[in-house]
Amino acid sequence: MKHRPAKARIKVGFKDALGMLGPYVRSRVLEQVKSVWLIIVYLVLFQTIVLKIPVAQASLIAFGIGLVIAGLTFFMEGLVLGLMPLGERVGMRLPQRVGLMPIVLFAILLGLLATLAEPAIQVLQTAGKSVSAWEAPLLFMLLGSHAQALVLSVGAGVGLAVALGMIRFYYSWSLKPLIYVLVLPLLLITGWAFLDPNLRYLTGLAWDCGAVTTGPVTVPLVLALGVGISRMVGKSESGTTGFGVVTLASLFPILAVFCLGIALSGSVPRPMDEEAFFLKENRERVKVLFESDDHMAAYALLRAGSVGRHSFFAGAAGGEDGFAAKLAGNESLRKAVFKGDESEFARWVREHGSPELRMTCFGEEGTGSEGASAGGGMDVGRLLAENLFSAVKAIGLLTVPLFLIMFVILREKMFRMDEVFLGLGFTVVGLCVFSLGIEMGLDRLGRQVGSMLPASFQSVEVSQKHKEICPFDPGVVQTALTPDGEEKSFFFAAEGGELQAVPYVEEDYDPASGCYLYRETRGPLFGGEGSLWGIMVVVLFAFIMGYGATLAEPALNALGRTVEELTVGTFRKSLLMQSVAVGVGVGLGVGMAKIIWDIPLAWLLIPSYVLLMGITLISTEEFVNVAWDSAGVTTGPITVPLVLAMGLGIGSQVGVVEGFGILAGASVFPILSVLTVGLYVKRVRKAVLKGDNDKHEEGPAIHG
Amino acid sequence: MDDPKTLSKITLMINRAVSPGILAGLKEIGVHDICVAAARAPIIRERKSLFGMGTKEDLVDTPSDIIVFLVPQEVADPVLGHAIDAGELTIYGRGSAYSEDITVPAAHEIFQEPSPISVDLEKPDRGLRSLQKVCCIVQRGQGEAIAKVALYTGAGVPVIYYGNGTGVRDKMGLLRITIPAEKEIVVVGTTRHNCESVMDLMIDVGRLEQPGKGFIYTYLLKKGLADLQVSRGDRRHAATMEQIVAAIDQMRGDTVWRRWADAKDSAKRKQRGYLTGFVDLTLFCNAGKGAELVDAAMAAGASGATINTYRHICPPDSPMARIGLSREACSMVIPSELVPDIIEAVREAGAFTDQCFGQVQVRTIKKAFTYVP
Repeated sequence: MKHRPAKARIKVGFKDALGMLGPYVRSRVLEQVKSVWLIIVYLVLFQTIVLKIPVAQASLIAFGIGLVIAGLTFFMEGLVLGLMPLGERVGMRLPQRVGLMPIVLFAILLGLLATLAEPAIQVLQTAGKSVSAWEAPLLFMLLGSHAQALVLSVGAGVGLAVALGMIRFYYSWSLKPLIYVLVLPLLLITGWAFLDPNLRYLTGLAWDCGAVTTGPVTVPLVLALGVGISRMVGKSESGTTGFGVVTLASLFPILAVFCLGIALSGSVPRPMDEEAFFLKENRERVKVLFESDDHMAAYALLRAGSVGRHSFFAGAAGGEDGFAAKLAGNESLRKAVFKGDESEFARWVREHGSPELRMTCFGEEGTGSEGASAGGGMDVGRLLAENLFSAVKAIGLLTVPLFLIMFVILREKMFRMDEVFLGLGFTVVGLCVFSLGIEMGLDRLGRQVGSMLPASFQSVEVSQKHKEICPFDPGVVQTALTPDGEEKSFFFAAEGGELQAVPYVEEDYDPASGCYLYRETRGPLFGGEGSLWGIMVVVLFAFIMGYGATLAEPALNALGRTVEELTVGTFRKSLLMQSVAVGVGVGLGVGMAKIIWDIPLAWLLIPSYVLLMGITLISTEEFVNVAWDSAGVTTGPITVPLVLAMGLGIGSQVGVVEGFGILAGASVFPILSVLTVGLYVKRVRKAVLKGDNDKHEEGPAIHG
Repeated sequence: MDDPKTLSKITLMINRAVSPGILAGLKEIGVHDICVAAARAPIIRERKSLFGMGTKEDLVDTPSDIIVFLVPQEVADPVLGHAIDAGELTIYGRGSAYSEDITVPAAHEIFQEPSPISVDLEKPDRGLRSLQKVCCIVQRGQGEAIAKVALYTGAGVPVIYYGNGTGVRDKMGLLRITIPAEKEIVVVGTTRHNCESVMDLMIDVGRLEQPGKGFIYTYLLKKGLADLQVSRGDRRHAATMEQIVAAIDQMRGDTVWRRWADAKDSAKRKQRGYLTGFVDLTLFCNAGKGAELVDAAMAAGASGATINTYRHICPPDSPMARIGLSREACSMVIPSELVPDIIEAVREAGAFTDQCFGQVQVRTIKKAFTYVP
């Protein structure tokens, strides 16, 4: 192709350029403000008005939220300008140049890379923080020593899913049979796993894996690629539009995790009680869960209760203090065992360590409190560098293969690449700023609300309100009686001219210094301990939070945009987002109820998916594709930290084995809500077509 | 190869549920080169408002398809009739069908030998004469307001589809991202005598006399059947107004009797500087090539283009299957004397090679309007 001389370019003056940028920037920022204001205002109001706790570090959080909005603005614009057009162009060109096999290989590679680019493993490890090795050994192993295997199997699952998705476009298969073929076995496995004590705890992890694997970069890219490819291949009359890959990429990893779990379950000890777990007789069987003996010793030291510690260190030389001293004295051992995060060890030393040990660890001051607060503070430079690195990694890992394909295999000059590169730059900046903002603002806010949320149905310590009463006179402590005649100690504290009865806890009085550490508690705010009203408030909170957070999700925004574009506005972005958001809200509410009442996940998943398959059967292909895809899209960078904060807050108060399964719930219900909306729309459309008139009299034929 | 051929272009704008039937019907008679674009058709829905006090109106969107293909002039009427029958379009609410005359001044060789069409030439002609089409291109999001003009004047059911505009924005480097490229295109076929009043109302509603708001033009249709069912809701009469209008249309064979534009309108119209002597040059090409070809056309004098995508439908064993599944139509409104230059420019840019499978279709514009600096 010959190129004509470039046409005259309009020179835009600096002032005019600013005049054009102004409205552009304003409209994009406003769009993001519109999407995040609800969740932020809601969290702040809930904390200050319902829980009646002021927002700590408010200015930092406000700054973080500013960053979230700026980051989202850049990121979304980058998706629209760079990442999605790039994906679509490669998707359109690829089938013209190569056959199905190379595309399948490329898809597998892309799926694997997507999992590595946007690792969900930290999220899952955070969610599994409370998992104990003796209660759920298999789960413990998968999140700990076998985390790499978990990531790889999820990656393999996503890879296969993307490949199958592409094959599906080639042969114009309907998504429905694929859903049945995948979901039915998954439900059977889930049911079977429920009966196996070890696999039972895996269910939540497996289903959550499905929900979190597809991140905010993968989804738009895979979507755009699918849209591109399906435009060029398939039967010409079929209406497949490029959706469905995300669905498969959510279902396959579940299967992969189950397979991995089943494969490993033979070598893993059965769940047992804490004492038995740490007994010497079981040592050989249990050791597979840990990387080394020292790991296990450290685990026993930090995580086990007194029974477990006793049982583990009973025969060991020097006992627990001896091991702790060994750890404190040997830096390389500490490094190997804790992998850089020594905060838990420091806390253990502060709380349980002997004075000598404290001296070794923290030096002269002997408290280590300064060290701890410095560790909890923020190193903005480091945070920025970390986030920038992960943003570059995520975008790079996913786009480099695309560029390689474009320049090496297709060898084609793409039109308007400057825009694409600008867009990719925007995505990197956006992703970095956005995750920084999440870490600084939204996450903190979420954690504050989450940790205090259980106060609505039980009493919770207000962690920000530790006060020392110095000197304290134990003589003021009085006794009160419960209706059963049990004695409770309390004293009156005078504060701001008001008297307040405070329960007296003996451990908080330090006779040496004569000080009493007074921890303020809050709640139960609604009714008594564990009241139904209080729990309903939590469930309602989860609903509104899920609703608000979902509206701000960038991947869902991208999906909504694509759906609206491809359906020429018959399926509005706002309709999709609203119905998904309601679904996520319901899912989170149900998830909360699951945690509080400890309902097995299988009881929630199996009936809802059975119901889903029924509705899928009678729904139109268009809605089935979009509805199932939206399930994979919902749980993104905004929802996940908030859900985790809330789940962990509730979970730690209620004392559950594992906090998984909430995200899985947040995936099922959006499918349900979108399909329901789809059924309604189908009815309206039918009515429009049929009209309220019969075939009217055909007039006489007219010949022109 | 390039002597302008005059052909009949048939456009069907129909409810998507009707499309499979129509496509099957067209395949039957040997129409093998069809382009289908996704669109939506809004109609007014009347509903009882809350507490049953009065009625409330909103718009419902129906997924629609725009089906376009070319046939030789002599079979245009029977093919149109065949399509109308295949889709049972006389039951209104299902869609519209039109034919118009266009020229094809240049095309890839593959379009030289159209497949023979075997249609019953005695097919009753169902098309009405005296129809005219309005096509209005506005920024994404503004289409609904324009469509409402067509709905509330009873002109017919408008169809909205998406396109991407190029023009000034492509001459200004990366700053172009500040100008949205997404457009909405609203088309409606209506009676020739009211068409310009509809157009004037659309100009008012869309404020098209202001810069950057949009573009509107009208062109003549040869024959057609317009979907008149602009609303849906409770009925209290034996026949709806739309049914009565359609029945009279059918009896008279045209729509002249529906003229309602009054003198005041025409007085106002005179003040507007309409553009005349323009044509709509639409270049069909393979997907992904449109932007490049438009760039070449713009270098040759075109002021811009609106690109929208079509799905190309043909039997897999037809020679037309080489063309590719996804097509782009780049519509450029240009002064008629520019046509040869632009064809030359896009030819040089490779429009008629096997990469693009380009085909140029030119229709005469009756009247156009936009902001003129």
